[in-house]
Amino acid sequence: MLANQHVLEGNRLVNDLTSSNLKSSETGIESQRIIARYMLDLGAEASIHKFHRQLNHFHPLHFFSSPDSGIIEENYSCSSYGINTVGIIRAPRGDGKEAIVLVTPYNALKSGLGEALSIGIAYSVFSLLSQVTWLAKDIIWLVADSRYGEYAAVSAWLRDYQTPKFSSLSTLDAEMCPDIDNLYDLKVNSITGSKFSSSFKRAGTMAAALVLKVRNKSDQFEDTISIYAEASNGQMPNLDLINVVNYLAVHRQGLHVKVEKLWSLLNSSWLKILGEIFESLGKVAKSLNPKWKFGITATEYVEGTATLASSLYYQALGLPTGPHGAFRDYQIDAITLEILPKFSSDKVRHSDILLRGGRLIEGVIRSVNNLLEKFHQSFFLYLLTSPSKFVSVGVYMIAFALLIAPLPIVAASLYVDASSLGNCSKSDKSTPSASLDTDEHSITIGSWMWLNSAKLVFLVHLWGAIVSLIPYVICQIPDCTPTTSFMIWVLLSMLSFLTLYSVLASPLSCAKASQEKEWALVKSVTISSVFIGLGLMSVINFATAEIGALLMVPMCLLARPLKLDVRAGTLRSFSRMIGNLVLGLIAFPPAAFFLLKGMLDGFGSVNVGAFWIWVESLWAWNSATYLFIGMVHLPCWVLCIHILLHTC
Amino acid sequence: MATFINFKALVQLLLLPCLLLCSSIAYNSSSVKATMHTNNWAVLVCTSRFWFNYRHMANTLSLYRTVKRLGIPDERIILMLADDMACNTRNKYPAQVFNNENHRLNLYGDNVEVDYRGYEVTVENFLRVLTGRHETAVPRSKRLLSDEGSHILLYMTGHGGDEFLKFQDSEELQSHDLADAVKQMKEKHRFKELLIMVDTCQAATLFNQLQSPGVLAIGSSMKGENSYSHHLDSDVGVSVVDRFTYYTLAFFERLNIYDNASLSSLFSSYNPSTLMSTAYYRRDLYQRRLEEVPVTNFFGSVMETIHTDAAYKALSRKISDRSESQISLDQSIHREERRMLININVCDEIHDVSTEGQEDDSKCPWSAFYRKMQKIENVDSLVNYGLVAMLPFLVFSTWLFH
Repeated sequence: MLANQHVLEGNRLVNDLTSSNLKSSETGIESQRIIARYMLDLGAEASIHKFHRQLNHFHPLHFFSSPDSGIIEENYSCSSYGINTVGIIRAPRGDGKEAIVLVTPYNALKSGLGEALSIGIAYSVFSLLSQVTWLAKDIIWLVADSRYGEYAAVSAWLRDYQTPKFSSLSTLDAEMCPDIDNLYDLKVNSITGSKFSSSFKRAGTMAAALVLKVRNKSDQFEDTISIYAEASNGQMPNLDLINVVNYLAVHRQGLHVKVEKLWSLLNSSWLKILGEIFESLGKVAKSLNPKWKFGITATEYVEGTATLASSLYYQALGLPTGPHGAFRDYQIDAITLEILPKFSSDKVRHSDILLRGGRLIEGVIRSVNNLLEKFHQSFFLYLLTSPSKFVSVGVYMIAFALLIAPLPIVAASLYVDASSLGNCSKSDKSTPSASLDTDEHSITIGSWMWLNSAKLVFLVHLWGAIVSLIPYVICQIPDCTPTTSFMIWVLLSMLSFLTLYSVLASPLSCAKASQEKEWALVKSVTISSVFIGLGLMSVINFATAEIGALLMVPMCLLARPLKLDVRAGTLRSFSRMIGNLVLGLIAFPPAAFFLLKGMLDGFGSVNVGAFWIWVESLWAWNSATYLFIGMVHLPCWVLCIHILLHTC
Repeated sequence: MATFINFKALVQLLLLPCLLLCSSIAYNSSSVKATMHTNNWAVLVCTSRFWFNYRHMANTLSLYRTVKRLGIPDERIILMLADDMACNTRNKYPAQVFNNENHRLNLYGDNVEVDYRGYEVTVENFLRVLTGRHETAVPRSKRLLSDEGSHILLYMTGHGGDEFLKFQDSEELQSHDLADAVKQMKEKHRFKELLIMVDTCQAATLFNQLQSPGVLAIGSSMKGENSYSHHLDSDVGVSVVDRFTYYTLAFFERLNIYDNASLSSLFSSYNPSTLMSTAYYRRDLYQRRLEEVPVTNFFGSVMETIHTDAAYKALSRKISDRSESQISLDQSIHREERRMLININVCDEIHDVSTEGQEDDSKCPWSAFYRKMQKIENVDSLVNYGLVAMLPFLVFSTWLFH
């Protein structure tokens, strides 16, 4: 059990770091040195890891490929180095095949008290673990240099950990940069028995990883732990990891645990009303049979919905919500824990945070340590509704399936209608004396009419693929602001659309004969392709597919040429027209993005460049959401607009 | 020539009753032993591996300690432990195993002889131990050298289900296998009475196929029920003992080797609410009344004492006396033989009174001879023997009156 002596040691490190921060703040090498010395004093193996900052470049061939160290370019200077400090405790009686990773992001250049505290917590746990007898897995403590972002440091270290290098590149690097040589002095000074090395140190396969952060400035009324779990493409760590953290935090350390919520939903009145309806329904059910316990209070319902919406939103974005995302790329379960201490300014609180946070980390590490295998007993596919509640894949897939179930049915009925109507109109026009073979000919033409629509749909999807590839060209242009990049992208997309339309789609105009029902066939094929696209996406990233379906399914089902509605002139067709126009506006991907962003963050911060920045981040994490938008959502939107503007 | 033949026949005639007597005595004494409880054995098996199954090893070691305390010597305990929790890297107390969170008692202290450990604990080895079909190289310490006078305690714990018990996370012992092994043991006179105690989920189903007489079975739970652990030791980090075993141990902690607590009092000590399952015992194969059987008959090495005045000499007769009533229960022994045995006994006493200090082998040859004569039904041979017997008489009388 973490005792006061460990907390004292942690406090000592915190003080040293904060004071050294004042001394030399140019390179931050001093704080790395202090941390490495502390690690060595515990008898742990310490080493440093240098990494380059990697820039985001969209490259179509590297999309979905695992990050690999071979693509590092050579023109980095010493100034763009980041230095991770890594400490490893070998399990005294263990077999060294597995390891648990503890990560504390630390920016030596401008570190606040929060980062120093997180290092203090990690160090107090580390000092405890260097003494315990029960370790079966090695413990790796990574102090990630977050000067180029927390994620970059962790992913660089993981990349080097997972892909062994057999060249002597690292020694060359060290010679080039005199700064880092200073760290090697430690080797001479260090106490006997401890090992400092400049080479990359490894332990076994990682069983789980914890990223620890402390936010210093918070306005919480009680000590709170915030859990971030979403990794790229909406992947989640095994639910058991969250359960362990939640259980230990709530029941052992008395901490308040929370996950992200959409705060705007908490105050919405319609949700409250819905919640009250459910509450009363639950009461009625309970009065009918006391064993039925699906009653849920209105406040619980509202909070659960807000959390669920946020969970869905962050999974749909496909971006990791913290450095833990880098671990998920290697199938390692990881979460970020952010400790938000109770608002207070006295020094005693620091020790309390160190003690409680340290005990929580100790408990989680011991739980993982006691496991024989990686987490596999619980869910990987789920949406959180509270730190201790979730919606599993078996439940949420039902909602999605019901949402997209109408698509194939409508597509089939449209196709049948269109082909039969086409035939009818043909046979009406033709005189009875018309020969049999022309009739047959028209039937064959009628039955193959959908090919034209299919060609159109295919071409639009091809265009979508081209639009997805354009950013590769734009990236080559130097010194582009996000706004201009976005503008160039839009212009190039439109240009390519017009070219494609004029070159390839012109034969469409030849088939004038069946124009009146052509839109129905186009709609039918569009709906089919959307169904396929949504079905595929639901497997890759459910949340994206769900949100996409919420936008696209009504748009696809409602789409009808505006001219027809105008001609009909009834109230029904008029409202349908309005609906079509609104949906056509909302479902345009950038518009949907701005709307969501505005709803979440307020419309003040929205500018055109934001979309480009978001798309850039999608490439960085190889998010399938990007492909979904480019290859499914955008073509669908264009086709629906095509149907709306159809000349009947 | 003729005299020689006659002499041979005479010798045969004289030896016959002695031989018959000897064989009958030998047979009777062996049947007497089969019905006597002469020794105690215990086979204690922990079938599951892995750190989170710490409690199964603790269960088994607790039982080991108990039976040892109650008097079964180490060489008569076969201890099988499928994993070594004491040396597991996750163990905060290396080389120690506890069954309670107070850590007062280290079960893995001195003098723990584990006979089968680690991957040696397999279904095959388990069945080999029970049936005694070992390879020649297996040392005596790893064999169950029980005989027809043995009371055997078979304790098993691990993860089980409907009619099976998992071994090593890879194999299963099915109820048929167990029943078959027990049947073989019975055939081979490897036990007199067998108590099977199983602490696993749905333990009762494991006894479904048993049909050998003299077997008593206790399981921790009925079909469809789970057997739960008793408590978690937050210091060690895992559950340290199962409920059924915990309450069994609680029962035995109150006892010492001299106590007379009966099996029925053990069985009635299980409370379904504290056990969170229903303890089940199968007694239809067991003849004795449970109220009259002390638990130390199985869990200790306590047998009924026989008081003797002198060593060896009187012992056999006393045993014979006592065995009469037991024999009457035993259906396998022939009625006639039994009657003869009684006669011998009666004769024994008479002889004892009249002539003391004689050899046991020839205590009453004439009565036995008479009996044998009665049994001989072949009249022709009787007549022949009679004629032959007349011959020396004739020779003698001729010589006398010559």
